[in-house]
Amino acid sequence: MSAENLKLCSLVVLLAPLAGAILAGAFGQVLRSRTHWPAIFGVGAAFTAAIYILVHVFHAPAGSTGISIPIYDWITDGTGSSFKVEFLIDPLTAVMLVIVTGISLLVVIYSRDYMRDHGHPERGYERFFAFLALFVFAMCALVLCGNFLLLYLGWEAVGLCSYLLIGFYYGRPAAAAAAKKAFLVNRVGDFGFGLGILLIYLSFRTLDYKQVFSFVDQGLLASGEPISPALMTTIALLLLCGACGKSAQLPLHVWLPDAMEGPSPVSALIHAATMVTAGVYMVARCGAIFTASETAMTIVAVIGAVTALFAATIALVQTDMKRILAYSTISQLGYMFLALGVYAADSAIFHLFTHAFFKALLFLGAGSVMHAMGGVIDVRHFSGLRRVLPWTYATFVIGSLALAGFPMFSGFFSKDEIIHHALAAHPVLGGMALLTAALTAFYTFRMVFLAFHGSTRVPEGVHPHESGGWMLASLCVLSIGAVAAGYVGVEATGRAFHHFLSPVFAATFTAAHPTEAAAHATFWSVYGLMIVSGGLSIAAIVAAYFVYVRQPWIPGLVKASAIGVYRLLWGKYHVDELYDLSVVQPARQTGRICVGIDDYFVDGLLWVITAVPQGIAYLLRVMQSGLLQGYALSMVAGIVVLLLLAL
Amino acid sequence: MEESYELVTVGSWILTLIIFSPLVGAVLLMLPPRGDDVSARRSALFCSLVTLGLTVMALSLFYKAEPKIRGGETDFLLTHSIPWIVGDDPETPTIDIGYRVGVDGISIWLVLLTSLLMPLAIWSSFSSIRTRVREYYVLLLLLQVGLLGVFCAMDLLLFYVFFEFTLVPLFFLIGIWGGPERRRAAGKFFLYTLAGSVFTFAGIVYLAYYSFTTQGHITLNIEELTQMGQEGFLPPNVQWWLFLAFAAGFAIKVPLFPFHTWLPLAHTEAPTAGSVILAAVLLKLGTYGFCRLSIPMLPDAAFALAPTIAVFAIIGIIYAALAAWVQTDVKKLVAYSSVSHLGFCMLGLFSLKVAGVNGGVLYMINHGLSTGALFVLVGCIYERYHTRNIHEIGGLARQMPWLAFFLIFFTLSSIGLPGLNGFVGEFLVLLGAATSGTTFDGRAAGPLGFGYVIPAALGIILGAVYMLWMCQRILFGPVIEPPHTPDLSTGLTKDLTRREISILAPLAMCCVFIGVYPKPMLDTFEVAVRQHILRQGASDKVAEVTAEAHP
Repeated sequence: MSAENLKLCSLVVLLAPLAGAILAGAFGQVLRSRTHWPAIFGVGAAFTAAIYILVHVFHAPAGSTGISIPIYDWITDGTGSSFKVEFLIDPLTAVMLVIVTGISLLVVIYSRDYMRDHGHPERGYERFFAFLALFVFAMCALVLCGNFLLLYLGWEAVGLCSYLLIGFYYGRPAAAAAAKKAFLVNRVGDFGFGLGILLIYLSFRTLDYKQVFSFVDQGLLASGEPISPALMTTIALLLLCGACGKSAQLPLHVWLPDAMEGPSPVSALIHAATMVTAGVYMVARCGAIFTASETAMTIVAVIGAVTALFAATIALVQTDMKRILAYSTISQLGYMFLALGVYAADSAIFHLFTHAFFKALLFLGAGSVMHAMGGVIDVRHFSGLRRVLPWTYATFVIGSLALAGFPMFSGFFSKDEIIHHALAAHPVLGGMALLTAALTAFYTFRMVFLAFHGSTRVPEGVHPHESGGWMLASLCVLSIGAVAAGYVGVEATGRAFHHFLSPVFAATFTAAHPTEAAAHATFWSVYGLMIVSGGLSIAAIVAAYFVYVRQPWIPGLVKASAIGVYRLLWGKYHVDELYDLSVVQPARQTGRICVGIDDYFVDGLLWVITAVPQGIAYLLRVMQSGLLQGYALSMVAGIVVLLLLAL
Repeated sequence: MEESYELVTVGSWILTLIIFSPLVGAVLLMLPPRGDDVSARRSALFCSLVTLGLTVMALSLFYKAEPKIRGGETDFLLTHSIPWIVGDDPETPTIDIGYRVGVDGISIWLVLLTSLLMPLAIWSSFSSIRTRVREYYVLLLLLQVGLLGVFCAMDLLLFYVFFEFTLVPLFFLIGIWGGPERRRAAGKFFLYTLAGSVFTFAGIVYLAYYSFTTQGHITLNIEELTQMGQEGFLPPNVQWWLFLAFAAGFAIKVPLFPFHTWLPLAHTEAPTAGSVILAAVLLKLGTYGFCRLSIPMLPDAAFALAPTIAVFAIIGIIYAALAAWVQTDVKKLVAYSSVSHLGFCMLGLFSLKVAGVNGGVLYMINHGLSTGALFVLVGCIYERYHTRNIHEIGGLARQMPWLAFFLIFFTLSSIGLPGLNGFVGEFLVLLGAATSGTTFDGRAAGPLGFGYVIPAALGIILGAVYMLWMCQRILFGPVIEPPHTPDLSTGLTKDLTRREISILAPLAMCCVFIGVYPKPMLDTFEVAVRQHILRQGASDKVAEVTAEAHP
């Protein structure tokens, strides 16, 4: 395939969803219940083009380092050059594009039924599909772009779509608040991200990926001086700020659980499979920058490990299925960051890939439950759904097994790899990863057992029904992915996934992380950890079964005996309250003070200034009384003064 | 040859035509036979559209002749000059003050902004202005004369005359058609800005005097003064005093913290069209003054005082953003946001780097488009609900999807979403400030540095905070309406009318265009900035050499 074709394909990937969005938005009133078609066609075209790109990259000659495709000059920088709209296509881009457009296509298809109430489109049907397609455009821009400025564009644009879609049910105050919170927390991250980009420009005088990375590789600034390690660390950490915001890592994770106010397909697509992984993608893309700073890599790993464990503990006690899944997303993203931090970017992207399938599947499954339960998603209000929702149940269990790391499911392979690398890097990180794996299996199946097992119980006035064909079709396809996706990265297939990505990471991540020589590979060094983590997962599932199905009185007892811990976890470690008290309220208070200064101090000062001439005028006015005697008196006085002076 | 003929005949008169066409319209409106109100507002709209048409023509002429500017053949285009106050001896005039107009790559866009916004502002008043209709439109047109004049003036005295002239129509617009506190607002606005510009006038007089003592004749030709200023004919201490004198007028107009307190009041009380023009164009007179007069004529003082100005600008960015966040009056919120945004603009201008000044100038235009539109939207809400209190309205997205669309759109533009106009300006401003301390663009290192960017970037977070807070309160949540509203007695519909949509749509299109393809504008800015604002001085040449040594 020629370069022209590649350019055409990447333009299709980008513009087809945009066209779909515009059509859906502009003609939504005309198309009504058929508004999903422009979105499906747009995203479908993008998916097809993404496959073409993948095939092209796959057949690219070995050793080629990404293809740059300039489109046009966007912003001139005042030095004669300009920031371009340009694409960079390499294996990482190709993989990400396929993941993004593929999952998007399934979610759009799923939404055709989900966004209906008894066969009638919900209010805002056209808006939903327009935003969804717009999101695909933004996400593809983020992945395709070839420089940091365009990355920032995609970065903010996906944030906007997330904002619009979380607030889809804008009539609900909680949804509106969650949307705003998501945007603002991301803006805080983007503050650092933007500064990082400016610092990159300041150091290298360019924002083009290839040029920046080659400068970093040579260890030189644009001025020809060597880069100081402190500068490298600063840049990496500023970029990390943005990644933490977008990927909901500590301490900027607070927006993601609230984002579940959006419709379930949105949670599946944006807040599980694609947008939230943008941070992982970015760190992997900027491998040159991150790996140049030991400190930054350590911080990435620690943030990842701590977030993974932190979120998993919160998920143990939550009762809202979507929120449990949200915390598990945060936790799994933590794994990916951990992998990045221990120089295993290919494992991180591998986990991103498998996670996209099974987490989208779980969210869509939860959506199916919600659809059947009339909008209720709290596991305290229903149970035993496996009889009424058999298809949903089957697919949900498949997703849960993958998430729990059950042997031979996709999540098992990718997670195991990460734990392996983490253990090799530092036992504490590895230990945290293992503990998180066990907790994950436990809370996942806690949710499964609470929702689908036990006696059949549904909220009052709800007539549960299995979801329609469009929804089940998506669930089935994703289930296949959740089972099989892992096999592209195992030894049996020659780790095809990792090999495909290796040109991207060869110079950065893997260079510092030599692959274990096959020579002294023993059975235990290869499969030992697999057995341990698989065993842990099975044990945790069995424990969950025992506690929540066999002996359901145990959770209550545990809760009562450790009420303090329970409250802490139920309150999500009270991070929201902490931020409100330490940041939001003081800032608003300062705002009030500012207004007070304006109204009283500044204006008071002005009043004083204007009072001076007024005062003088008042004095002068007294003198000009209009009374003849007064004038005569002052005349006499004047003459006397003059005479005295003359004498 | 045909081309030059066209330039000489049409080109030299076109600016004069543009400036005075609203005046002609205003006079015609006042003359008998006076029709009813409907015909008055239609005529006013027609007149402003004629001006817009002329401006578009001027833009095309400008583009035709622009290579001349690029090639350095000339500094300003479409120039027209008539002697006004000249000395006795025509051979060696001792006084050289004239009616001189002309545009460069910066002012042509500001002229276009003014001409574009005036018809929209007039059109937006159709349903809201019910009393003294004719006079209202006459005043708006007169205001346009002043604004256009400032952007075209190439003579300091002419600049000053137009600059001050804008106060009069706006004073009456606020004072007659304003809100309940209109008289106080109008008085404060008039006196405050007048007090500042008196110092500016003193500065101009001193400049004339100084040029007389040193050059032997009085000149107020901006081109000439710029040239002389760049060549260093003013000693630094004189530059300092002149800079402060100019700044007194301009900083109040901008408004730069802490001289901003007139603005929220004036904005809140002004009628919608008044707010639109005030925010979109009138404030730009201040920033335009800085970049047309202060920076090029007084380069040393500008350099020395830039850190101070930048600090005030940054304080303003954060201070006004915080203040905006706690406002309950939507209009006041948008007004404070203007103060915050203009802080960015000033920061860019005083980075004294090509990127930063480009960004600052683009910021002027962006702010005009998005804040102008926001004021129109607030006006739409006010006309229907008779309140601007954020607590009394809510959930309007359900009632008014079009309003919701545009409000969110212009909010995004205003908070600098990439892909829309606001981002390009904001980014260039920050880029300029960040790289100010370097010799990137082949110029001497500027006065600012990366340290200034960090607090300014905080303003970007805060900008999103208050704007999204406002959107959430007004658009989302359960529907809240004051009793007996929406008031549709003036022929409005529940959602935006076609007229209102047609006002907002062109602005939205401009926002998208600038966001996606700003290059045509940035290119003309860059030429003008390099030639007029940051002219290559002797010290810069040195920097260029050093920059070449370390590519």
